[in-house]
Amino acid sequence: MITPLLAFGRFEVGRLVRSWRFLVITVGFPVSFYMLFLGNQSAGGIVDGTVPWRVYLMVTMCSFGSLVAGLTAGGARLSAERASGWARQLRVTPIPAWSYVVTKVSASMLVILPVIALVDAVGAAFGGVDLSIGSWLGLTVLLWATSLPFALLGVLIGFLVNAETAFPVVTALMFVLGYFGGLFNPLASMPGALQLVARTLPSFNNAALGLAFLDGRGPGLEHWFVLVMYVVVLALAIMLKHRAEESRGLA
Amino acid sequence: MIARTLTLNKPRQRGAARPALRFEGVTHRYGARVAVEELSFEVANGETVALLGPNGAGKSTTISLLLGLLRPFRGVVEVLGTAPRKAVAQGRVGAMLQTGSGSGLPPGVRVRATLELARRLYPRPAPFDVTVERAGIGALLDRQTHRLSGGQVQSVRFALAIAGDPELVFLDEPTAAMDVAGRRSFWHMIRQFGREGRTVLFATHHLHEADQIADRVVVVNHGRVVADGPGAMLKAAVAARQVRFVCDHPNRQVFDALEGVTDVEVHGKGVTLSSLDADATVKALVGRRVAFSDLEVTGAGLEDAFVALTEDNGDAMHRSA
Repeated sequence: MITPLLAFGRFEVGRLVRSWRFLVITVGFPVSFYMLFLGNQSAGGIVDGTVPWRVYLMVTMCSFGSLVAGLTAGGARLSAERASGWARQLRVTPIPAWSYVVTKVSASMLVILPVIALVDAVGAAFGGVDLSIGSWLGLTVLLWATSLPFALLGVLIGFLVNAETAFPVVTALMFVLGYFGGLFNPLASMPGALQLVARTLPSFNNAALGLAFLDGRGPGLEHWFVLVMYVVVLALAIMLKHRAEESRGLA
Repeated sequence: MIARTLTLNKPRQRGAARPALRFEGVTHRYGARVAVEELSFEVANGETVALLGPNGAGKSTTISLLLGLLRPFRGVVEVLGTAPRKAVAQGRVGAMLQTGSGSGLPPGVRVRATLELARRLYPRPAPFDVTVERAGIGALLDRQTHRLSGGQVQSVRFALAIAGDPELVFLDEPTAAMDVAGRRSFWHMIRQFGREGRTVLFATHHLHEADQIADRVVVVNHGRVVADGPGAMLKAAVAARQVRFVCDHPNRQVFDALEGVTDVEVHGKGVTLSSLDADATVKALVGRRVAFSDLEVTGAGLEDAFVALTEDNGDAMHRSA
């Protein structure tokens, strides 16, 4: 059972990293945004809590990278693949029905990690970020583990809409969740109502957990709560959709 | 080549009496529409059987039920002596499903990687080279899956279907997107696979294919079995040959009494005899010294048989294999 699933997972990750489109989007977007924002910010100052803006920027760009990678790994790729009939072909192989969804989400998670590491590297090289090894590792693992909602969201879109629709939907979500999640502007600079909206978004809470970890503000339970809620709701939605298709003999 | 053939897993013998698959009184509906109704048929181990019927006859539903992709509302579906899903999970079944406009292959990957993955999903896969050889895809291995012609896609999909060295293979309209040459080589491949002792069930609405490839043809229409038997028997069931000639003084009684004749039509001087045995009928014509000219014998073929079987009094034609 394990060996076929590992083979399937490796196959999926291999397909992702061999896709030029995927690489250009997931590497290009976060890195170019990061460089752009770096150039725009006036040096010095503290944006939120006790974290210097250079660190703040890197953390939010890590979140943006996870968001982009998670949405793109699922999204249009997944819809196109399901439309091709490949997903259905897998249903007549010995691997269980749930393994399709689980493998897709796992593959998304696997490709999110190097994107976060890449933004870390940009931060260390160009962003003026200097952290202890422990902080780097802790931050990266924390941001990665809590990027699960992005991976699930990407897969859900792949299940809900066709390939032509999925692409604009994914692009819109990237910028909506990025902007309203305070990844492009510090939350403090946003109007009060928008700050409330931000607090309900997975993008904001993902970055906020990283920031809370760095400035030692504590475990950030409210952020965990929001993220876990997203995981539960998105996973449930994917399961229901998958089940419904299965019972109609479609998936 | 010989050494390679010897390494193949032999399909496990499950006792000769046990059918490879069994459909008993199966009914399935999509909402109010009945797709399959009280459908019953069996396929023996090692048989190559065609499921023949017009579009919408219930062929795809039947195959989905056999793979456990759908559950029957009523009736029993048994595959290799067990439940369909179990047979699939055990890796003993392979299938090529209909994919509509899609290729059924994962985009953005080479054929080789796709086949390697397919093999790893099964507990007892056939050796890589054997599957490549069986499906004739040696030249396609380094191609991207989205850069294949219709026929090539089907060959690759066939390779995926048999990668696990299954005892039983389902093919749903496998030649739908293929040209004539592609079809011929595809069916040649299926024949070979069947000769290795595998059970093959394929759905088609190409009468010629069913007749040429299958040991047995199960004709379905409106979700029911209309006829079941060897292609030749189906033809016989509806008088497979027509003997036409011109005769100055046609005599119905004489023609009717000729060997093999099942029906006589006379229009002026033109006579058309339907015959179960055209050779015998023509010999009898000569023997009776009937003065005829412009003799013509045409095979009604499965086409006519099919039309006759599916259009009307289908149930009256029902035969058991």
